[in-house]
Order: sequence, then C-alpha cells, then structure tokens
Amino acid sequence: MRTLLTIFFSMLFAVVSFAQGETGSENIFKSNLKIYVVAAVLTIILACLFAFMFAIERRLKKLEEK
Amino acid sequence: MNWIYGKWWKWLSAIMLVYVVIGGFVVPLGPGITKISPSVFKPDTVYTFRITAYHAHFLSPEAGKVQLWFKNHYTYYKPLSVNVVSNSEIEATFALASTQQEKIVPSSFDVVINNNVDGTFALREALTLAKAKAIDSASVFTAETTEPVVENNKHRLFCFPYREILYETIRNTFFHVPMWFVMTMLVFTSFVASTLYLTKPFEKWDVLAHKAVVAALLFGTCGYLTGLVWAKYTWYIGVSWGDVIRKLLLEDIKMAAALVAIFFYVAYMIIREMIENDERRRNIAAVYNIFAFVVFILCVFVLPRLTDSMHPGNGGNPAFSKYDLDSTLRLFFYPAVIAWILFGFWILSILIRLSFIEQKQKV
Repeated sequence: MRTLLTIFFSMLFAVVSFAQGETGSENIFKSNLKIYVVAAVLTIILACLFAFMFAIERRLKKLEEK
Repeated sequence: MNWIYGKWWKWLSAIMLVYVVIGGFVVPLGPGITKISPSVFKPDTVYTFRITAYHAHFLSPEAGKVQLWFKNHYTYYKPLSVNVVSNSEIEATFALASTQQEKIVPSSFDVVINNNVDGTFALREALTLAKAKAIDSASVFTAETTEPVVENNKHRLFCFPYREILYETIRNTFFHVPMWFVMTMLVFTSFVASTLYLTKPFEKWDVLAHKAVVAALLFGTCGYLTGLVWAKYTWYIGVSWGDVIRKLLLEDIKMAAALVAIFFYVAYMIIREMIENDERRRNIAAVYNIFAFVVFILCVFVLPRLTDSMHPGNGGNPAFSKYDLDSTLRLFFYPAVIAWILFGFWILSILIRLSFIEQKQKV
C-alpha cells in the first residue's frame, strides 16, 4: 500500500513539474481547442472512483480478517 | 431488494459507458472559424482577410460553392472575391467606403461562411472596423449589401456542434452533467427508502437510505470537481483558482446552492455517526433525510431557476432546449445519463451487500 502511494505521489510530481515547464498548465488546457479539459474531467472522475474502490476494499479486508 | 443481485443492468451500464466514452471522443467537432487575420481594418482600403476554419470541407467536391459574408448588425456585406486556399483556409477580399462608416454600428463584423457540406457557420465579432476620416472624396470601393441565400447541409455531417469558448469541452456534457443526474436519482432513492422506513421500520430500508446517500455524495463530489475544472477553462479564462472558486460561489447561484445541498447530506452522515442508539439513529436519520431531500430539490432545481446563472438553461428557461443540445449530442447524452445512473446503482448495490455481510457477522 505504501509503495503504491509513493508511486502515485511521485507520478503527481511528474505532472506538476510538467505543468510548470515552458508551456505552463494554462496553455496545455487551452491548446487543441481545450480537449485536455475533457481529459482532466475524466481523470477526476476516475480518481474519485478509484479512491472509492480503495475505501470499499478496506472494509472488505476488515470483513475477511474476522 | 433482489435487484441488487441482478446482472443484466450492470452489463448494460458497462456497454453503454464504453459506447459513450468511445463515441464521445471519436465523433469530431463540427466546422467553425478559429482565426481571421487581420482582425482590424480601415475604410477605403482593400484588405485580403485570411480565414482559418476548423474541420471544414471547403475543397470537398460535394461542398459546392463556398459563400462568405461579413455581417454587421442585421446587414450582410458581400466580399469582393472569395478564394478557397485549402480545406480549412479561405482568402476573402473586402473593402468598405468611408461614406458607409456611419451605418456601421456597432463597429464589429461577424464572418459567416456557408457550403453544402458544412452548412452555415460563423465567428461572431471577428472583424473590427477602425473608423477613420475619408482619404479622399471618391472612395475606391463600396461594399455591397446582399440577402444571404443559402443551400446548406445537403450532406449533413455527423459531428458535435462547434461552440465558441466551449470548443472540445462540449464533450464534458457526457461526463459532468450525468454526475448530477446520478446524484439526484440516488438521493431520490434514499428519500423513498426513508419514507418506507418511517411507514414500516424494516432495517433494509434504513440501509438502502444510508448507502444511497454515500453513493450520492461520491457522484456529487465528482460533479462538483469536474464542474470546477470545466468552469475554469471556459467561463473564467485567465482567472486564478482562488478567484474561480470565489466567483463561482458568489456569482453562480447553481454552484453555491449545489454546495449547500451537498453539505446537507454530509450533515446526514455526521448525524448517523453521532447517535449511538440504533433505533433512535434510524428514526432521526429517516426524518432528517426527508428534510434534506426537500432542501436538495430546492437548491438544485428551484433556486437556480429564479435568478441568472452561468449554467445553460437557468434563469427561467428549461434546460434541454434545442439551443443547449443538438441531435448528435442527444445520441450520446441520453445513453450517458442512463449508463451513469445504472453505474451509480451498481456502486449502491455493492455498498448494500457489504453492509448486509457486516450485519450478519455482528449477529
């Protein structure tokens, strides 16, 4: 779990550093007629669903341990 | 509550969601004008304007004659010549006599293009006339006015509408909007379950009401966050994140009201946590839930209609007018709504089954 979280956060750092590069996150989202805004929206939905899945799994694990 | 063990509607949800995601990304955006240069012009001079369009088919054999007008207020002006450079580029020459200047109010021109494949599309306020004194008394060219006669959309394209400001983000209609539909459906389920619990206090109704709120909050959060990102890059271009949130909460009543509605359900969760006694908790939660549903309806469906909001279809208008959704969008929007709602109930069914197992283990 901890390794997974570390991987996840290091990936976040990659995204953040990419966003602070020459182009800047503002320009990425405004380029190509704003198609990346759709990508961001889908990413948010997926992230929420995954967070939810992990929460469910934690409850399942508790049940399994009993 | 045997429906939670059913399978077919989960498959339906999965298939429809795949259809929506693929269709929502593969179907191209319709034709639109992205750029015109120069964008400011003076009278008494012949200009060659280079117009760049997106997803247009000017050179297609079916396109026929490409027509172009400069529109000021309700008057259409003919260009001197139109030269199609490529599928997406047109050069149009145009001149306006200084004697015509007085009629040009306001000083901006829309560019309107028409052909048989792309239909009619335009860029509003594309050109601005920089009014100037006449260079000499006899002007070189006088712009002719005309009535636009069009033959369009003979070969109708399969595409999503091209809208200024929105552009490709129009695809978010399939992801952001259904989140709220799911939340509404789940909250309604919760309301019905709470009412049933108050008439007949079966434990399963309490579980259904509770879990439906949990799932509703998940989708509410998704809807809120996606809306935040969408708003930042459409309504509030170049505004910092802090200001976006401040503006949304203060200026867009729908966002403020939706947040209030979400907080009412967060409060429901907290109330459940706080009461130790099982029967007491279930009764109070059921009563509060009915109250919260009324607040939800008021906040999400009534309040935003009373005043103006940035959201389409608010401020007195019904939401699904022909201006908000075109037929191609509908082809994906309705399946998206159904698919996401089924998906929401899938999540709800998993939560309910988990809590049934937990109860069995307690006993």
